[in-house]
Amino acid sequence: MYKYSEKDTQFLVERVDQFEKQLNRYLSGELDEDKFRSLRLRNGLYMELHAHMLRVAIPYGILSSNQLRALADVADKYDRGFGHFTTRQNIQFNWIQLPEIANLLRDLTDVGLHAIQTSGKATRNITADPLSGLTEGEIEDARPYCELIRRWFNLHPEFSWLPGKFKIAINGAKLDETALRIHDLGLRLVKNKKGELGFSVYVGGGLGAAAMIGPETASFVPIEDILSYLESAMRIYNLKGRRDHQKKLRIKFLVRELGAAEFSRLVDEDWQQTKNDPELKLNLKELQSLKEDFELPIDPINLKGFRDEVDFNYSIWKKNNVRSHKVSGYSIVTISLTKLGSAPGDATSEQMRILAKLGDQYSSSEIRTTKRQTIVFPFVRKDEVFDLWKSLEENDLDSPHQGTLAQIVACPGRDYCDLAKAVSIPIATRVQERFNEMNKLLDIGDLNINISGCENSCAHHHIADIGLLGMQKNGEEYYQITLAGETLHETNIGKKLGPSVSSETVVDAVENIVNVFIDNRKSEEKFTDVFKRIGIEPFKEKVYG
Amino acid sequence: MVEIENPTTLINKDYESIELVTFAEWIEGFERLANLGVGLILEPGDDVYLIQNQLDLIDLIALDFSNFDDGRGYTQAYLLSKRWKYVGEIIGINAHLDQLQFMIRSGVTSYQLLESYKGSNEEDYSNGFSLCYQAAANNNGLNLQY
Ligand code: HEM
Ligand code: SF4
Repeated sequence: MYKYSEKDTQFLVERVDQFEKQLNRYLSGELDEDKFRSLRLRNGLYMELHAHMLRVAIPYGILSSNQLRALADVADKYDRGFGHFTTRQNIQFNWIQLPEIANLLRDLTDVGLHAIQTSGKATRNITADPLSGLTEGEIEDARPYCELIRRWFNLHPEFSWLPGKFKIAINGAKLDETALRIHDLGLRLVKNKKGELGFSVYVGGGLGAAAMIGPETASFVPIEDILSYLESAMRIYNLKGRRDHQKKLRIKFLVRELGAAEFSRLVDEDWQQTKNDPELKLNLKELQSLKEDFELPIDPINLKGFRDEVDFNYSIWKKNNVRSHKVSGYSIVTISLTKLGSAPGDATSEQMRILAKLGDQYSSSEIRTTKRQTIVFPFVRKDEVFDLWKSLEENDLDSPHQGTLAQIVACPGRDYCDLAKAVSIPIATRVQERFNEMNKLLDIGDLNINISGCENSCAHHHIADIGLLGMQKNGEEYYQITLAGETLHETNIGKKLGPSVSSETVVDAVENIVNVFIDNRKSEEKFTDVFKRIGIEPFKEKVYG
Repeated sequence: MVEIENPTTLINKDYESIELVTFAEWIEGFERLANLGVGLILEPGDDVYLIQNQLDLIDLIALDFSNFDDGRGYTQAYLLSKRWKYVGEIIGINAHLDQLQFMIRSGVTSYQLLESYKGSNEEDYSNGFSLCYQAAANNNGLNLQY
């Protein structure tokens, strides 16, 4: 597994030292609120309703078991014993005391973790497919590129004070698990006719009040030229992005105002001046060395004659939680953390330690997090899956929700977030209560329900089969419903169903929508297939009568 | 100097007093101002591309960093210094101590702090980093790793 070198760790320590000085100046009154805000956000620190929230980066969603144990220790030592895995594969702690933050961060540097640029108006943690390197048919494992690009934009002098945040996703697989076209900038690894590797680039996607799908700005940028291209895109954004309007800061507004063609032209014009600069070429030697670091820690094994255990509950769980691996003899196991009443993505320190221990035992000490707020064990031997399930069952981590609609994605909502217009987690709980029969869940199949507590769209409701967006109407909580958003095969923003529905009736509405789907479904059709075939009307009729 | 309407002055790196004109004044009257040895103040919103072909007429360029969150100055510095190889002084004015590392690496060659930092202990700010993860306009003496 890739690990930071001593020099990288030293850098993390220096960054904590720097942040601690900033914090001390704020606490002593020397640094004003505004400047501290700008500085603390660059280090993942938010001021929340009841305390401070700290977001720690999990690069590409990959953790070693030791890193997970360190996060468990942080949860106990500095928080209330739990952490929250987010849709961008990071982890958040909601109850941090300001003066302790530097110590917390220093503890994490020992295992190579940090909060650098997990927030603020700079390049954020880069997201990759959580199944990178594991599935058949991948064009190329995206992680070495993610790491090289992450480094380059780490405290980049020219691009650390952009108009708004800048989120990058990179996908090397056929299906898009990263939702790259709703990122500020998305990169897709592609091969050209000559078989050379490069990226197609999409700029200006994003959710929020004005959801947009990023248009393609370049169809093929050779891998060695990607840094200069990214710099040019950010340079145009830095100079021309809307700084005058709080709600138009993101690059999607600039791309929309200029038009994709003009934006691409400006980027290209700038890029022509830099693409041959040897200093800006991707370091291919380093790339090679990273490829070796990211090599899978397993070799194919022959399990001829192996017969898996027969057990009713195991088979249900296995159907939804176990996928085939490209390496023979192995499986990919997904673990759902959902439980009635707890926030999706929440994990207690005890659960983290159990997962770390099981990761050591069954998954080469590697653990991944996903955008659906689940945990993945990437390297489980087929003949050990049953034993792993038994251990999960003993520890109450055997939820079969993964791959069903009960695996709801929800943001913290009004329970934790001071920007919220409505609650999210209690709605998720009520939906789970309504659909609490396993047979029914299995019959419905995989259907995404995502719930955001306000337009900031932290839970990605626009790209879910059923999206719920919390809002206020006459002082009451209402939910706007969108249907048939998707990113896996193609990218579509969910369509608005109609007027928002009240908190009392929102779960009925969800049930009605699911019923229309079931009644109209033919054989293996997914929700989006049915929606495309029958249109929005039948759903409208059922929900609004 | 009668030709300059609202002169501001600045002490350059050689401790000489130099008169500054605004960007608008320069654009309007650069033929007239070119021989006077004046400097130019560039605000973040000023279009630096407009002076790209006049750089050898300008003695000094002052970039205004007073707005902490406005990062356009870093790109202006980069363009002047690295892309257009401007040889005059690029001074960052109204600078914030927390941002010096970014300014200098982007190509700013000297700086003047905001008044409010007078008396601050520079030790309380960044001591710099033992390595940098990217090449930028100015990499002098840095340990680059990328
Ligand atoms: C409670 C603390 C949180 C606060 C205050 C917060 C705040 C925000 C804000 C203000 C935005 C919009 C930024 C913009 O468009 O410029 C945003 C976007 C986002 N947040 Fe959060 N957030 C929080 C928690 C979370 C959590 C827990 C997750 C993951 C589950 C998350 C994931 C996201 C994502 C994915 C976006 C981007 C949506 C887009 O593409 O436009 N956030 N957040
Ligand atoms: S979507 Fe809104 S309510 Fe939910 S976490 Fe984000 S900012 Fe808070």
